[in-house]
Amino acid sequence: MSARIRAGGLLAGALLSCATLLAACGEQSSAPRGTAPAITVGTALAADQTVTRSLLDMPRTLDPSLLTDIYGQAVTDDLFEGLTTLGPDGRMVPGVATSWETSADGKQWVFHLRPEARWSNGDPVTAADFLYAWHRTLDPKTGSEYAQALGIIVGAFAIATGHAPQDTLGASAPDAHTIRIALVSPTPYLLALLADSFMQPQHRTTIERYGDDWTRPEHMVSNGPFVLRELIIGDRITLAKNARYWNAAAVHPSRVVYYPLDQVAQVSRYLAGDIQYADEFPSEQFRYLKDSLGAQVQTTPLLAIDQLGFNLLRPPFATNRQLRLALTMALDREVLAAKVRQGAEFPAYTLVPPLPGYTPTLPDWASWSDARRHAEARRLYAAAGYSLEHPLRVQLDYDTSESSRDLFDAIAAMWRTNLGAEIEPYNEEFRVLLQDLRLHKSLLFSENWTGDYPDPYTFLQLYQSGFDQNFSGLSDPAVDAPLQSGTNEPDVAARYADFRRAEGRLNEEADYIPYLYRGARHLIKPYLKGWQLNVLDRIPSRYLYVLEHEGN
Amino acid sequence: MVQFIVRRLAVAIPTLLVIATLAFALLHATPGGPFDTNRKMPAAILKSIEAQYHLDEPVWRQYLRYLGELAHGNLGPSFQYRNTSVNELIRVGFPVDLLVGGLALLAALLVGGSLGLTAAVRRHTAWDYLPMFAASLGVAVPVFVVAPLLILVFAVQLHWLPSGDWRWGELRYLVLPVTALALPYVAYVARMTRGAAIEVLTSPYIRMARAKGLPQATILLRHALRPVLMPLVSFLGPAFAGVLTGSIIVESVFGLPGIGRYFLVGALNRDYTLVVGITVLYGALIIAFNLLADLAYAWLDPRVRLRA
Repeated sequence: MSARIRAGGLLAGALLSCATLLAACGEQSSAPRGTAPAITVGTALAADQTVTRSLLDMPRTLDPSLLTDIYGQAVTDDLFEGLTTLGPDGRMVPGVATSWETSADGKQWVFHLRPEARWSNGDPVTAADFLYAWHRTLDPKTGSEYAQALGIIVGAFAIATGHAPQDTLGASAPDAHTIRIALVSPTPYLLALLADSFMQPQHRTTIERYGDDWTRPEHMVSNGPFVLRELIIGDRITLAKNARYWNAAAVHPSRVVYYPLDQVAQVSRYLAGDIQYADEFPSEQFRYLKDSLGAQVQTTPLLAIDQLGFNLLRPPFATNRQLRLALTMALDREVLAAKVRQGAEFPAYTLVPPLPGYTPTLPDWASWSDARRHAEARRLYAAAGYSLEHPLRVQLDYDTSESSRDLFDAIAAMWRTNLGAEIEPYNEEFRVLLQDLRLHKSLLFSENWTGDYPDPYTFLQLYQSGFDQNFSGLSDPAVDAPLQSGTNEPDVAARYADFRRAEGRLNEEADYIPYLYRGARHLIKPYLKGWQLNVLDRIPSRYLYVLEHEGN
Repeated sequence: MVQFIVRRLAVAIPTLLVIATLAFALLHATPGGPFDTNRKMPAAILKSIEAQYHLDEPVWRQYLRYLGELAHGNLGPSFQYRNTSVNELIRVGFPVDLLVGGLALLAALLVGGSLGLTAAVRRHTAWDYLPMFAASLGVAVPVFVVAPLLILVFAVQLHWLPSGDWRWGELRYLVLPVTALALPYVAYVARMTRGAAIEVLTSPYIRMARAKGLPQATILLRHALRPVLMPLVSFLGPAFAGVLTGSIIVESVFGLPGIGRYFLVGALNRDYTLVVGITVLYGALIIAFNLLADLAYAWLDPRVRLRA
């Protein structure tokens, strides 16, 4: 049996790329439709199991201790394997560890490693390889930007900040295949962190022998399903199947090629059949690509929120809850998601994106009709002391590199229409905006945040007193107290209840304006199988396989 | 002549020094540093990273250190690509730009020159109007429109050529990027050649040659070509630097591993050494090509005297 999938309208798709570019110059172009050959997909595996996929940018490094970008994480997910690893659906499954136990207070963990795990040079993977990697990440001399992520382990933060020696770390190896970890507080998301690059094992003799050059294809020794074959900065990264991987029999791809490409180039490469999986296409092409490619367009909400922040240390927002509430209620999130983002993103009424097991409390007004919501927003705006004659005039600072002008124009237009407020969107380069935010210079600003792990705390900490990225300057005991008790709570249900309380308080006080949950936007060929979209947007190559097909 | 070259090269050194200094100062004056992320690092780690790159030193000392390294041809480590030096990035990326840019300019000269010359010889015929119309279009339509259109037709629709990527020694990966980069230059060269050729072909000495009964080919190649090339030469110097530096869009659309993209991304990421290194390289290229253009000018026109 075979399924025929029609990939029509490709001409228009590529023309749309031009149209997008033209639109940037203030011109418009219509997109005539054309046809392209259909793709016929069989049911047997293709002879060539090469998987070709794109990344939005070149990873800055493949050193698990040093990498900071999601592109590097995608590649190291293929090269290395932690104690846990990603299942096909993005949930954690046993990796090098076969099993683990945890103490009643959730702070002591013991992991048992599989004896058959091997490095790509044949050496056994042992507990010492993990401890070496963690110590290396924590060593200030290594200069790891993610060292603080290990701060959940007892002693780690003091080591990372140079206040304690390495041997004070609360992690030990009683034997070659056992690891004990002592945590500062119960951390239910530990199993997710263990699959991240900064907790993956590293091959000590290789690193000591080659120094910084150990990540080069000719030197790298890895323990994951693939090994590094080729790395050309700006062009491609090629991986080959690791025959010594303990579960090599379950890995289909013989080769994986990653291409770093911008969004427009990803679409043209995909349409030409040169890549099977495009990581991200321009959101303005969503509707069009969906119409022409159908099920090849795949989207899913990510662990990421687009929100607007208030400066809560200075007027006009610091003491004016009614004004903040009026502004958040006056936004039509459904319109932003469906029209401005063309359905590629999802309306957000609260801070934490959809997470398995966590049901946030939405504000009441989220379910109101537009008319009722707008009327209440106008009432609050007037009660806050503003009117058509005396409108709120504020600049909305946003980051040029991550956001687009049309979104903020739409938001400003909604405030103008629904309230009469005069908000002026103003774009700044990311690093310039970041500096302004750290100095609390900006009054109203855009803040996009991607969670580090699937747990509400990764978002809620943004509003905890003293947190470095608390750019609003909020310090509210009614938020801090439940956050504090939630992070010390070993029981997940009780922990989430605390977090719901903190989130509820933020919404009640309108301390911020959530508006969209970002979505992953992939193009996936009908003959590439084995993937499952997930909120982490991590799709390991090991689960992918290519079916026989005609046309591409 | 030798004295001219030596003097020009002597002037080039302070020029490059000024370029390096300005680039260094501008980048360091821009808010934000290379290791700023929206997740703030503990001070000890940031300090350690900054020490690795000497960012903990006063700016004047960083500057002197940089100049010292530069004098030895060492452009320093890239801040953005950890464990990679700027020299290595340029060594890997620049040959790609050189090949694509060089071929694009060669194509522009051959195709544009022939079209322009034909148009001048057969003025006011279809041989004149059609190529000149196409040339106007070529100048007007930017490369970021031409490049995706080429991919659309030749890669997506016809499947004749790859839509991007790079393999050394494989011609098919070169065709589309070279064409996209060459098209505007073909147009420029065609229009310039036509204009120059018309002026030369109507000048008294060519009329004299015609009157003596010389064949058309001899008149064109022996008497008209050199003066026609004159304006092209002054155009080619900056143009060669232009194709090398201006290929950022072509690199991006076709995913070529050249250095143009580093320049852009490097500036956004405050990769000080990478951006200053590439700026100095581009500066050196522009100086070199201008010098070559001046030399070629003197060779083509005996009336030109080289004086530094």
